[in-house]
Amino acid sequence: MAIAPGTPLPQRRLFLLPTRFGLVWAVLVLVLLLFGINYQNSLAYGLAFWLFALAVIALLRTWRNLLGVIATLRLPPEVFAGGEARLGVVFSGGRPRSGLEVHVEGAAARLDLPEGQGEASLALPAPRRGVQRLPLLRLESSWPLGLVRALAWLESRESLLVYPRPLDDDAPRHRHAGAGLEASDFAGLRRAEPGDSPARLAWKQWSRTGELAAKAFSVPPRQQLWLDYDACRGDPERRLSILCARVLAHHLAGDRYGLRLPGVTLPQGEGSRQRREALEALARFDPAATARREAP
Amino acid sequence: MRRAAALASRSAAPAVLADGRALSGVMLRRLFIGQCLVLALHLAWMPAWLAAVAALVAGYRYLQLRRRLPRAGVVLRLAGVGLLVAALWLQYGSLGNMEGLIGLLLGVYLLKLLETHTRRDARVVVLIGMVTTTAAFLHDQGIPMAVGALAAVAWLVQSLVWLAGARRPRQAWRETAWLLGLSAPLMVLLFLAFPRLGPLWNLPQAQRAATGLTDEIAPGDIARLSRSDRRAFRVRFEGDEPAPSERYWRVYTLSHFDGERWRRAEPERLAATLGRPVGNFVGEGGRSPWRGAGKARFSAELLLEPDNRPWRPALGEPLASDERLRWLADGTVEGLAPLASRSLLRLESSGLAPAHPDPAGPGWHTLLPAEGNPRTRALVERLWREAGGEPRAFLADAMARFGEAPFRYTLAPPRLTSGDRVDEFLFESRAGYCTHYASAMAVMARAAGVPARIVAGFLGGERHPDGYFTVRDYDAHAWVEVWLDGAWQRLDPTAVIAPERIERGAQAVSEGAEAFLADAPFSPLRLREVGWVNHLRLDWERLEYRWQRGVVGYQRQARDDLMAQVARRLHALWEWLVGLVPGHGPVAGALGLLSIGGAAAGLAALLRLGWRRRHEGRDEALRIRRLQAWLERRGLGARAGESPAGHLRRVAAAAGSAGPALRDCAHQLERLHYAPLREDERQARRRQLGRRVVEVRRRLGRLPRR
Repeated sequence: MAIAPGTPLPQRRLFLLPTRFGLVWAVLVLVLLLFGINYQNSLAYGLAFWLFALAVIALLRTWRNLLGVIATLRLPPEVFAGGEARLGVVFSGGRPRSGLEVHVEGAAARLDLPEGQGEASLALPAPRRGVQRLPLLRLESSWPLGLVRALAWLESRESLLVYPRPLDDDAPRHRHAGAGLEASDFAGLRRAEPGDSPARLAWKQWSRTGELAAKAFSVPPRQQLWLDYDACRGDPERRLSILCARVLAHHLAGDRYGLRLPGVTLPQGEGSRQRREALEALARFDPAATARREAP
Repeated sequence: MRRAAALASRSAAPAVLADGRALSGVMLRRLFIGQCLVLALHLAWMPAWLAAVAALVAGYRYLQLRRRLPRAGVVLRLAGVGLLVAALWLQYGSLGNMEGLIGLLLGVYLLKLLETHTRRDARVVVLIGMVTTTAAFLHDQGIPMAVGALAAVAWLVQSLVWLAGARRPRQAWRETAWLLGLSAPLMVLLFLAFPRLGPLWNLPQAQRAATGLTDEIAPGDIARLSRSDRRAFRVRFEGDEPAPSERYWRVYTLSHFDGERWRRAEPERLAATLGRPVGNFVGEGGRSPWRGAGKARFSAELLLEPDNRPWRPALGEPLASDERLRWLADGTVEGLAPLASRSLLRLESSGLAPAHPDPAGPGWHTLLPAEGNPRTRALVERLWREAGGEPRAFLADAMARFGEAPFRYTLAPPRLTSGDRVDEFLFESRAGYCTHYASAMAVMARAAGVPARIVAGFLGGERHPDGYFTVRDYDAHAWVEVWLDGAWQRLDPTAVIAPERIERGAQAVSEGAEAFLADAPFSPLRLREVGWVNHLRLDWERLEYRWQRGVVGYQRQARDDLMAQVARRLHALWEWLVGLVPGHGPVAGALGLLSIGGAAAGLAALLRLGWRRRHEGRDEALRIRRLQAWLERRGLGARAGESPAGHLRRVAAAAGSAGPALRDCAHQLERLHYAPLREDERQARRRQLGRRVVEVRRRLGRLPRR
């Protein structure tokens, strides 16, 4: 029934259903036809046939509007539990298309592809931490008249990694460390590059040597610390939430940090890569498995 | 500038507000414009206050959207409907007739805007609009109506496209044009091929104004003469066309004279008066049941205008038709029902007055009031004596009197007021038009004992260059028939007093256009003398005639004829096919059909290929995408996130002999994408790319498909 993302929507996976308005339209055509018959009225016949022909053409155009659409999914870079996952659905259609709709439980989006390309964004609810399978997406279009609905289902094998919901238990203690630190220790001169702040340029050097240089500053040494699962209190989810908040705070502060979870240890590091690995470890952590491992 | 931009952005607003339910003000305006277009189709026939209803409803919605008024509640809506019904009742006296029903439909359509809040409501409004448009075809089916309806339907369809989610006017109109354009051929096909059925049940019919023809004439009542240029009917002849002096269209005979007015004696009334069965006076069927009917000389195809009476004109005595009619014993014919819309009728007729006696008998046709008009009676007695009791000579004498000096033909004669109107006309005023002369002549004939009756109908008709005649209200005429030598004879006193009326039509009489178009101040016929205007008028009439005959008159007969013709053509084509292929019988025919189908399919495939080539020649990205898809089918697909050029280069390493070509493809693609090239260089590189792609396919073609 469903197709995978990235393949053009084939004919046999595309379903056409009349809408309620379409059924009413059929009744209208019948009424006009009876009108034409009973009054022997040629123009009424003509209009009845035209409305019928319009419905047929609308059916074909609805079908063609969705046929061959390629939908690929763009997963959100990070999702925290309790928030929403902004799932991007990238459409490419080859030709201009209008009124494409994506529906999923709890969210819907609608877009036009005037250039044959476009992206819709769906706000999926992400209630729980962990690996979440992507739901079945329904592609739909009732363009151009709303008489018929073309339907197709899109099922992705990819899954979404939902990070724990960040929870600050006692924020101030961790935030002061390194938070708001500016690179302030003068560490020498380097060649100026376009884009350097004028305040950082060594104007004196320039007047003396005629070469534009910029002052370089170094960041004072940061904290080096470990975030430990066992050091937190509460049930596992709460502990993971606290750890998540700390990872975010330390990353913001530019600290070097490592993560110790039962069975998983992430060595100390810094930067966005460390942040991602730490958050992924938190998201994938399975307290039940740990408990089983410790039990024997 | 800013104002224009604001306007543009407003007109481009989507149909539904951001909450996904409520209609935007712009969409309501579109629905209102649609209502105005549909209403315009009706306004010429419907009371003008309906326009005020539309304006009131739109004004209310406008203020309500501006938040100065609450939404229309149930009470207000019910009051609106109540007022509408009351107003229609006052206008028409009941709601059961056609106009009342159309008014109700229109009013409901207009009032519906009050409670239109969601997309669903808006669609209902559009649907009612379609029905209301159809109802307008009950008034008229002419070209202006069809064009107006086309505009209205296009606007309604465009409204539906907006409701389906169009964002820009260009998009909405484009889609509407596609829809209408693509569906038109299917519509035409259905229109031509759909079997036409008779009416399934009776519906209220629209009341039609009567033409200038009356079934009662009272010489002296000046207002009785219609001088409008309204068309009465159009006619085309198969075979002979009548000369101008033969174009006497008989419609009614008036055989009952009460001293002042001549009346028609309908078969039922005649039967009741004379105490005989109705069957003696009228018969239904496809041809005239009366014995001694003459031979058919003219075969006419009449395009009749709607009228509230079922009369049908016939040139002389009607003889046969393609539909069931009521054939009256006086040699006239009636339809079974009045015509609500223009329709076609084929009628054969003799061109002469009937040759069979009227079953009412000579007694009925010599009946005069016992007293009155003494001077006329005295004159008749004198003439009869002078003629030696010979009817023919008597009638000739009587007719000749009208050609003498004091009598004149005028469309504005003095009123006749005395009790002896014939006396007053013959001896005092001596001025009048056809009915005066016909009445006087018939009275004189009857006074002499010669059976006589007045025939009301039309004389003449304008011959169009295309070969059909238009007969208008002002062509209405009256003349006399007398029973002489075993047949009715036509006797037209007007031919004596105003021969130009017979030869050149009503407009030729001395008073000219002013008088004969007195009831039609804006008629284009007034400009008959201006060459190019007359040309335009004739062109328009030709178009109108073709439309009425070909489209509006496309009913059962026309459809059956066309289908028979198509079947003949198909059969001829089949025969030709069978003859084309050596051998005989259906197998050969099927073979021929197959080969033609094959040739057509081949041609279509070639065209498609050419189109694709052309398209690819201008779009290198498309060409490369197709190449990538082709590679993918052979298991050499791109990896996720790989650029097209990167993909080709990676594949090139494993592609053996196709490697250099693939690398060159990637190179050309990158040059085309990123290098600043002149147009001719660009073309050259595209061609090079095309050749390389062909080479890749040739060299890799031996790989199995997966």
